[in-house]
Amino acid sequence: MQKQVLSLCRGFLRATRSKSPEDRREIESFVSAEFRRNSKQVDRKNFIYIEHLLRRGKKQLEQLNSPDTVGLSSMNVTFSETENPKN
Amino acid sequence: MALRAAVLRHVRVAVQTRGLESNPWFPSGSIRLMSSHDDHLTKEEVADRVLSVIKSFPKVDPSRVTPEVHFQKDLGLDSLDNVEIVMALEEEFKLEIPDKEADKIDSCNLAIEYIHNHPLSS
Repeated sequence: MQKQVLSLCRGFLRATRSKSPEDRREIESFVSAEFRRNSKQVDRKNFIYIEHLLRRGKKQLEQLNSPDTVGLSSMNVTFSETENPKN
Repeated sequence: MALRAAVLRHVRVAVQTRGLESNPWFPSGSIRLMSSHDDHLTKEEVADRVLSVIKSFPKVDPSRVTPEVHFQKDLGLDSLDNVEIVMALEEEFKLEIPDKEADKIDSCNLAIEYIHNHPLSS
């Protein structure tokens, strides 16, 4: 499971490479802050919740990967969705 | 005269293959890259660049970075930092490291080894 999380993180960082340098920096710092925050807050044994985060992360990554998604708007989407992890 | 012709021919061939290297779709380009070491990165060069990428990572104390250093045990990084470092190395050497390999790279030594042995690192 840890590998899945790391692989998702890698996927996000790869996806940012296709964005403009400015958007990229923003998305990158946001992505790593989100992963860091969850790694501190989420109980490592709470598998169901981690599975849920993984699924949601994959969907967000798909959004980010679509060429229609321009950095900033995708940032907002990612932000508003991950803002309330307890939902 | 024959010698001159031979030399000229040789030079022309060398220039051609150099041009082809940049084209990843041309098969002979990659074959040449793997068979020839004359324009491949030296281990020292790889080591220098790996070290400088790691030293420039925000959470790393540059004075503690040596070629022997282990990212998590010696530099106090975690697995997420590890991912970011490997991604930064990918960019520095214009590689794409598959997840399976990237998961194994957890120290300077392994990173240098992997990149040095990779035919496409540049």
